[in-house]
Amino acid sequence: MPEGSGVVAPAAASLGADEFQALLVEVLPTAYGYALRLTRNRADAEDLVQDAALRAFRAMTTFEPGTNFKAWMFRILTRCFWANHRRRQRRPNTVDFDDTPDLYLYARSAEHGLPWQGEDPARTLIDRLGTERVSEAIGQLPEEYGVVCTLYFMEDFAYHEIADVLEVPVGTVRSRLHRGRKMLQKALWCLAEESGIVTELTQREGDA
Amino acid sequence: MTPLSRYTCEEAFRRLDDYLDRELSSDETELVREHLEVCAGCAREFNFESSILKGVREKLRQIDVPASLQLRILSVLEKER
Repeated sequence: MPEGSGVVAPAAASLGADEFQALLVEVLPTAYGYALRLTRNRADAEDLVQDAALRAFRAMTTFEPGTNFKAWMFRILTRCFWANHRRRQRRPNTVDFDDTPDLYLYARSAEHGLPWQGEDPARTLIDRLGTERVSEAIGQLPEEYGVVCTLYFMEDFAYHEIADVLEVPVGTVRSRLHRGRKMLQKALWCLAEESGIVTELTQREGDA
Repeated sequence: MTPLSRYTCEEAFRRLDDYLDRELSSDETELVREHLEVCAGCAREFNFESSILKGVREKLRQIDVPASLQLRILSVLEKER
């Protein structure tokens, strides 16, 4: 089991304001990235991170030095998101995720002759989709799956750390992640089809 | 390790996610690895999945953090002290 990617505070009696700020500055970029994936716009993401930072600062004495500061900070950020920053109106989802089979991208790519194209066909597909469409795909997942997948992909959190951040059992993380990955693959494939990437790659293969 | 203790394709596949996420015990990891060494079909599927995960991870981590964010937050915290 991996150690995870914690910014771990030094063991001490309690955290001082300066120590807190130093740890906070270290996790700010990834906290903003996480917030951006949750809120899906920059202004809301900045507000969410600021709100979470302030709450964390006020709750500084509850942090246990020697434990994972980043997981603690992300837990507060997630709570803030659920409480104040969550969009009431979610974008309507156009993908039917029911019963998405395993190896969805592999199977669909195989149907189109893509897995044998180049040395790393999966990578070719993801690179052609690009950051914007990959972000859009993860944004299409039902919220409980999207949040777990966001933490999983954006951080090097182990399952138990994601469980700690979201305050759910590890088994819930494992099952949501398993299902969320399949959903994500379907969303990615739909975007690749809609944007003509599948056709383009198939034709390229035919021309080769 | 005897041949009887080797994983079948189904047993290996059931552990695909946990294997890629390094969430298996060392014994299970070794059994999956051993299966992938002798089963080209499973190895191709595992590699495809692994490549998707790496690609998605890299794309999602490409974030431009606003330069003003840190200053803004530290300023708010300063007032709070």
